[in-house]
Formats: sequence, C-alpha cells, structure tokens
Amino acid sequence: MDDELLNDFIVEANEHMGDIENQLLSIEESGADIDVDLVNEVFRGIHSIKGAAGFLGMTIIGELAHNLENILNMMRNHELVPNSGMIDVMLRAADRLQGLINDIQNSNEADVSEFVAELEKIAQENTEAPAEPTPEPTPVAQAEPELSEDEELDRQIEEAIAAKLVETKAKKEAAQPEPKQEAEPKAEVTAEPKVAQAPVKPAPVKKAKEKSDKKQVGPEASIRVSIGVLDKLMNLAGELVLSRNQLMQAVASDEKGALDTIASRLDQVTSEVQESIMQTRMQQIGSVFGKFPRIVRDLSSKLEKQCDLKIEGKEVEVDKTIIEAISDPLTHLVRNSIDHGVESPADRKLAGKPIEGSMNLRACYQAGKVRIEIEDDGAGIDPNKLKEKAVSKGILTAEKAEQMSDREAVRLIFHPGFSMAAKVTDVSGRGVGMDVVRTNIAKLGGTVDVESVVGEGTNIVITLPLTLAIIPSLIVQTKDDRFAIPQVNIAELVRLRPREIETRVGRIKDAEVLRLRGDLLPLIRLEEALEMVSPKSSEEKKTEKTDHNTYKATNIIVVETGQQRFGVIVDALHDSEEIVVKPLGRHIQDCPCLSGATILGDGHVALILDVAGIAAHEKIPSNEELNKEKENSTASQEESQQMLLFSNHAEEHFAVSMDVISRIDRIRADQIDSVGGQEVLQYRNSTMSLLRLENCITAKTADSKERLYAIVFEVAGKEVGLLAPCLKDIQDVIMNFDTVTFRERGILGSLVLNEKTTRFVDLFELADIAHPEWRDDEEVLVVEEDEQPPLVLLAEDSAFFRKQVTSMITERGYRVVGCEDGLIAWETLQSGEHDFDIVVTDIEMPNMDGFEFAGRIKESQWSHLPVIALTSLAGSADIQRGIEVGIDDYQIKMDRDKLINSLQNFAGSKTGNNTPVLQTN
Amino acid sequence: MATAQLDEQDVEAEELQLATFYVGDMLLGIDIRQVQEINRQLAVTDVPHSSTHVRGVINLRGDVATVIDLRSILGFPSAEVTRQSRNLIVHSQGESIGFLVDRISDILTLNSSEISQPPTNIEGVDGSLFKGVFKLEKELLITLDVEAVLAGKSSAP
Repeated sequence: MDDELLNDFIVEANEHMGDIENQLLSIEESGADIDVDLVNEVFRGIHSIKGAAGFLGMTIIGELAHNLENILNMMRNHELVPNSGMIDVMLRAADRLQGLINDIQNSNEADVSEFVAELEKIAQENTEAPAEPTPEPTPVAQAEPELSEDEELDRQIEEAIAAKLVETKAKKEAAQPEPKQEAEPKAEVTAEPKVAQAPVKPAPVKKAKEKSDKKQVGPEASIRVSIGVLDKLMNLAGELVLSRNQLMQAVASDEKGALDTIASRLDQVTSEVQESIMQTRMQQIGSVFGKFPRIVRDLSSKLEKQCDLKIEGKEVEVDKTIIEAISDPLTHLVRNSIDHGVESPADRKLAGKPIEGSMNLRACYQAGKVRIEIEDDGAGIDPNKLKEKAVSKGILTAEKAEQMSDREAVRLIFHPGFSMAAKVTDVSGRGVGMDVVRTNIAKLGGTVDVESVVGEGTNIVITLPLTLAIIPSLIVQTKDDRFAIPQVNIAELVRLRPREIETRVGRIKDAEVLRLRGDLLPLIRLEEALEMVSPKSSEEKKTEKTDHNTYKATNIIVVETGQQRFGVIVDALHDSEEIVVKPLGRHIQDCPCLSGATILGDGHVALILDVAGIAAHEKIPSNEELNKEKENSTASQEESQQMLLFSNHAEEHFAVSMDVISRIDRIRADQIDSVGGQEVLQYRNSTMSLLRLENCITAKTADSKERLYAIVFEVAGKEVGLLAPCLKDIQDVIMNFDTVTFRERGILGSLVLNEKTTRFVDLFELADIAHPEWRDDEEVLVVEEDEQPPLVLLAEDSAFFRKQVTSMITERGYRVVGCEDGLIAWETLQSGEHDFDIVVTDIEMPNMDGFEFAGRIKESQWSHLPVIALTSLAGSADIQRGIEVGIDDYQIKMDRDKLINSLQNFAGSKTGNNTPVLQTN
Repeated sequence: MATAQLDEQDVEAEELQLATFYVGDMLLGIDIRQVQEINRQLAVTDVPHSSTHVRGVINLRGDVATVIDLRSILGFPSAEVTRQSRNLIVHSQGESIGFLVDRISDILTLNSSEISQPPTNIEGVDGSLFKGVFKLEKELLITLDVEAVLAGKSSAP
C-alpha cells in the first residue's frame, strides 16, 4: 500500500474528525431543532472518510463510517431526532473511528461489530419507512476499485450538491431570517445578486450540471503548502512592500534616476513572487499515479489477466489543476490498456510472450512540458481492423481507408463514436471513448498520440503543459486586434521578404501553402480564419499579394498541434509575454478559435488563440494527409527536376537541368585556348567550344579562377562546355518559375533557391546565341507547300514545361495543341477536332497519367499514332511499363535536340509518302 | 396555500429600486440589486466567431467581462456608440456581464403593486424578455428579465 496515500488519508481524516466531538455535542444540544448545516458538515466529513477508506481497502473503517453516516443522513433529512442516547453511541463510534484511523495498519483486523450493531439499531428504531430511499452501496462493494471510482465521483457530486444547497440556504437565511419567504428571496444589495437570481433548484438539475463540469466539483478548495515555500512568499511580500515604499518615495521626491533601479527591483520581486506562487500550486504527479497499482491489480484479476505495473517519474511536479484534470483520462487509458491491450495469459503464452503482461507508466519533463507515457506489451492495435470498422461505421470511405497509413489508422481510436472494444464490457466501452480522453487533454492544452505495433504493444503518449494559470505567449496583431498564441504551440517564425513570396508561397487546390525546407505547410491568414474580413477570392488574393507585398514583409507563425502543423499569417508580431489566463464568459465560451483571454500591459484585453481549434475550424489537414497531398503535387502539378546549381560571379546564381548535361569536366584556366575569337578546350584530340555566360546573357563577368568547371552538353551533334567557376549543389527543384522578371534569351526563368535568386539557364538557347550558325546545320522539317506541318498533341500538366516544349517544337515548324493533363488530351483527341499526327505526353499527370493515356490511344482507333513520352528522368521500370502500354519512345524533357529528332523520326514515318528530309550533318 | 398567499402579499408590498436606461426609445429597468456598476469603458475587444449579440470583451479591473449589445438582442439595429452610451454591468451566475445601453436614466423607486404583466409583444420585441411594465407619467418603463435576456442570448445563433 502506498504510504504517501495512506498518510494523506490519515491527515485528511483527522482534519474531518478534529472537531467532531464538539459538533456532535452541539447537535445533541439543539435537539429537535436540527441545525442542518452542522449535521451536513459532520456528514460530509464522515462521508469523505468512508469514500477514501473504501478506496484504500480499509473495510472496517469504511463500515463504521458508513453506519455513522447513515444516522447523520437521517438527521439532516429530519427523519431522526437526535437524543442523548444516540449522540452517546455516535460519540463512542467516532472515538473508535479515530482510533482506527490512527492505527490504520491494523484497522482491518479490528472488531467494530458492537458499534455497527448499535448504530444500526438506532437507525431501525427510528424509521417506520425504509431507512433510505437510495440505498448506499455496501462497504464490501467499495473494495472494488471500479465501483469505488464511480462512487468517488458520486460522492463528490453528492457533496458538491450538499455544499451548494447549504451555501445557498445559508446565504438566504443570512439575508432573510424568515425562512418561509421563498417566492422572491431578498438578498442584501452588497451580497452576490446571484442568490436572488438562483432560487433553490431541485437537486437533479444541479446534479446534471455538476456532472458536466467535473472540474468544479472538487469540494476541497484547500491546498497544502510547505512551510518553506510559505516563508519564502512571506519574505517576498516584504520585499514587495519595500519596493512599493521606495517607489512612492521616488515618485514623491520626483527622483527620476531612482525609478530605473526600483523598476528593475520590482520586476525581479514580481517574477519571484510569481514563481513561488506557482510552486504552491505544483503537486507531484505521484498523487495521481498512486492509485494505479491497485486499479491494475484489481482489474487484471477481475479480467483474469496478469499484469505488472511499473511507475516512473512520480516526483514530476505539475499544476494542481492539471493533476486534478488528468486523473480521469489517465484512469481511462490505464483501464483500456489492461482491458484491450494486455492479452489473457493463454494468448500470451501462444504468442511466446511472458505470461505476465507488463505496463509502464512514465512521467518526465520534456521541453517545458510534461510527457506521460502509458505503455503496454499487449496485442497492439490492428490498423486494418480499425479501418474496417471505420468504414463499416461510415466514418471513412473505403477509398480513404485504403490510402491511410497504419499510423494514421491507429489514431482512428480517437475518432468520436469509435469504441476500441470489440465487445462492450463493464470495464470499458461505456460510452467514455478515447475521443473524450483526447478532448479533455486538449482542453488542458495537451496532446495525446498513440503508437502501436501489432503483437508487440501500444504506447500512448500524452504531453501536457506544466501549468495553465500563466503561460508564455507570443502577442501578434492582425488588423487592429492583438491576440496571444501560446508558445507551446509555436514551432518557429518565418519572415518572407516580398520577393520571396512568389516562390515560397504556393497553392494546392484553393489553399495557400508555404514551402519550408522541402515541406509544404498549409497557410492560413488569421484575419480570414477569424472572419475579421470577408474571405477573398483567390483572384483578389493574388492581386493583393502582389500589391502590398511589394513593400511589406510577411510574418508567418508556424504553429503545431499534436496532429497538424501550419502557418498563420499575421500583420505584426509583438513581444513574447507571460500572460495570465482569464476564462471567457459563457456567451463566448464556445468560440472555436479561442481558449481564453488575457489582459495586456496596457490594460487591453487580448484573446488567446486556440491553435487546435483554428486547425479544426479551418479544416487543416493532418500531417499525414498533407504529406500525401505533397507527394501528389510534386508528382503532378509541381514537377521537380534535378538541377545543377552554380555561380558565375559570386553574387549571381544559376541553375541548369541535370537532364541535359552529358558530364562535368574540371579544367584549368590555362587549358583554354583562344582560337579565332572563340574559346575552345582541347579535349581527347578534338576541340570543344566553350561558352561563357557573360558573353551570352546579361551577367556579371565571371571571377577569374585557376580551376573551373565545364558543364558539357550536346547540341546539334557537338559537345559544348559552359564555363562555371564555382559549382554549388545538385538539388531537386520544384519547377515553379518566375518567367517574367529575368526573361531574356537563354534564361527560362528564375526562382529563389536557398534564399538566393537563381536563374535557370537554357543551355540550347545559350549555344544558339553564341553560335547561331550551328542552327543552319540542324535538321529542319521540310514540308511540301500544300501540306500542313505535322500536328502534335502535347499532354503536360506543368505550365512551365508545356510552354517550353511548345515553343521548342513550334520553332521547328510543328503545330502543337497543348493540354493540361492526360484526360483533357484524351478528350481533345476524341473530339476529332484536330487530326493529330503525333502525341507527346508527360508521364506523371493528375486525372490521367501518361501510361493510361498512351494505353487508351493504343487500344483505340488512333492506335497508329506514335506516342513519345516525356519524363524528367526515365527509369527503367517506367520504360518497361511504357513499352507494355505501347509508348513508342522516351525522351527527356529538357533535351530538345533528342526530342526533335525523335519527333522527326516518328512524324516523318507517319506523314506517309512525303518523308521529311532529315538534314543531319 | 396559506404560505403562497402570504408570499404574494409580501411581494406586492415590496418597493423596487430600478436602474433605468434607454435602448432606442424604450425605457428599460433592471432591479438595482442586480447591477454591479455602470461604466463608460466602450473600447471593447472584438471576439471572432461570437454571436452577433456579443459586442466584445472588456477589462473589468482584471477580469474579462463579456459585453452584450442590448439593442441587438431586442432586435433593434446595432447601436452606434455615442457619448451617452454606457456599459451596465450585471452580475449573473457568478459572472460579470456588460449590457451596452444607449443612455442611462434615473434610479426609480416603485412599488411592486404597480407592476403589470408584460404583453406578449412590446414594440415588436418578444415579451418573454420582460418581467413587467410600469406606467410612468409620460412613458412606459419595462423591466428586463436579465436571466432571460442572457439565456436567450446564449441560445441565439
């Protein structure tokens, strides 16, 4: 038995018993004119003892207390008139009770039958009607922990009701000595007017209300504080007074200089006071954990399971309110673990596990929060079963379930209306689902997550703030209003300069996203989430974005809940402050995005944002959903390309597509020969033309270096090298270019990479600029005069590539019809509007990908059409699949020479008799 | 039965002190015992997603109090804050709540026997929000049922 728990019980019971002698004597004195308040007070004390004793398994104490309580109950209901004889018995019984409490270790061996008999006799003698309308549970029943817990709750509710009744009555009586005037009781004007407004309601109504708000039920409004902390507080109070005096003096004598010193002193003292006061509220989490060994023991024996509980981190201290609020959810989770997690000994043996299941309850500090883990080595949660169930319950569509990751599926247990129990037992599945646990924990500003491996066990992780009363927060502003965002929710702050917006902020469907280190984060605008402005249409937003962002940086707060991570755009950031949380009034309690309010230094009210609430309100997808989204989007709408990044001049950054590079050579500057005004490199007994960026496009002259690189690519059958003094990196880059700002020949567009504006170089155009004469050597499509040039159907979802490929092949005399995806292309083909000669298609596209598109073509009346697939990088698996569906050729997107070649080959063969002349040199 | 009659007589003999104020042209009164204070702290902080009846929140000496727009509850067009606008702070269910009213009038002492039942509808406003009607010399004084007003508020969309 936990000594600390027992100790607490003894201390508390002694408090209750402290004055019982005098109280009983007073009751005796008043005789028939029963002082209900007094009787109630004694009743509550005894009742608490009974409840706690039952919980601790002190059956004898419980039994005695129960009988005493019975009598008191009858007295307060005016069913029994106290007389000396009764009080005598009760006094002796109380003495005995006190004796038992003080010798608690041996109390269960004690014999109290004499007192019990006497008390019962009193009860029976004085009742004609059945003694109690609602029979109390017998003390034996209290030994069952699950009952005792329920009973504990009942008891608390009962007590709270009793206390309320007494309180209201007392107030009424104080205000109105005549107890009969109940129609419109008058309260003193100074007294709380609610008395006048709240006539004594029938108990059931109160009860329902109390039940819904358990937090307030706790009848014990006192807290034990160590003398040390109290002394410190006392000292600090002294300091505070001293500081005040100094301040008054300084103000009176108008000493401006002294104010600084006093202010800093006040600041220090205040922080210390705050800290000490917080300390008085801190309690060890062990006081909650303490009850679990018994719950586990009793429950596992009841379910015929074996389970060993290990507890770590009892000494972790958290705020009293959290201790109180976490008790029920934790109990629920522990019960769940035993009921559903740990298997029966037979099953465990079969699974090759030790017969005794083990369960770990751990608490520790983690980054200013408390982390509680409930881990078992039981059967684990089967994600597939959960999915099935979710589908059968209509929570998920089968399709969605299919896509769901296992981890995500396991989290379904937190979904409302989802009971983990295959069968409803009396232990769990009683309607208090995991969703309630999650909601309750979320209310405390905490999170709960679950990990599970089938056959190996389940781990439930709860993180909670240390305190709720004062929380560090960031004050932000949007429009004219300031809001507080709790620091625990803030992951980081991102500030985007106006020109970064284009590249860092993108769109998926209708939502804005922020690119952050390769991740896509959903973005919301606070003023829109809070409906401070009417949500703008995306068009408006775009124009506005370019409007005001040209001169103003954008502040994004990256916030996270357990499930989501997203960015919040605010107008301005203010200080980080420790704020005192004030509750919201009942009219605004239900606002989805708010968790409270606080008063700022200037006296204004700032509302505290509930990040989880905002996420729910804005329907922010969870991280998993988002990652899937991301995969899709990078695959389709925002195709990525491998790029070689280099700089020419130290301040100018460029990128070229890796796909078109044959190789990169490292060369020395003295290897470069200048022949006839051209720079060339002797290379394997031939010469390779070299290009310099600054000669082709607007660029600063390259830094002269002894060693540099030649980026070698092939154009018109020749190898050409682009000189690059300094190579930076090879990166996957999302093809989302600004094609306007730096538009010139040789540059495809620009984007911001690693915070540097990087221009994307078109090597072929570059070669064209440097050596326009090469072009004459190129294959030119020759078409008879009365013939139309071949018509190409191009399916490509990336607008950038669509444009590039279109211009690339129209330049060579082809006609092109571009489509945004396979489906549109397919429909275009089917419409019969155009008579296509050749199809060029991207592979990865939304709605219908290139494989399917090609497959359909090959099975249709257009099966004769050659299909050239464009990919970023052709993988062999893709090529294999492509051949299977009938794709005729694969080409790399950025390699225009090869694409053109391929086009000419196929288009030529298909245009029948007049074979285009391929003039290769 | 006897006690009930006794109660009624007591009530009838009672003198009522009412804090009276105007909302639009309507003269309204609240039992002064329910009024905690009257202030003109009109700079409220907006509460997003709150009901249209909620004007906002104010700092009431360290506590955050909700301010309700009485005009809106009574179905009048939302109030323009003027120099005469005041917050009338009432205490209800352990909470301080402000009513934004257009103008504060007198404190009147009336005998409760002069009270008459409110009609089901006063100037288009649902009578259930009112406790009774007093006929003054020039006009009608309508007493508000504070809890009904606040409750109707909570259930309103």
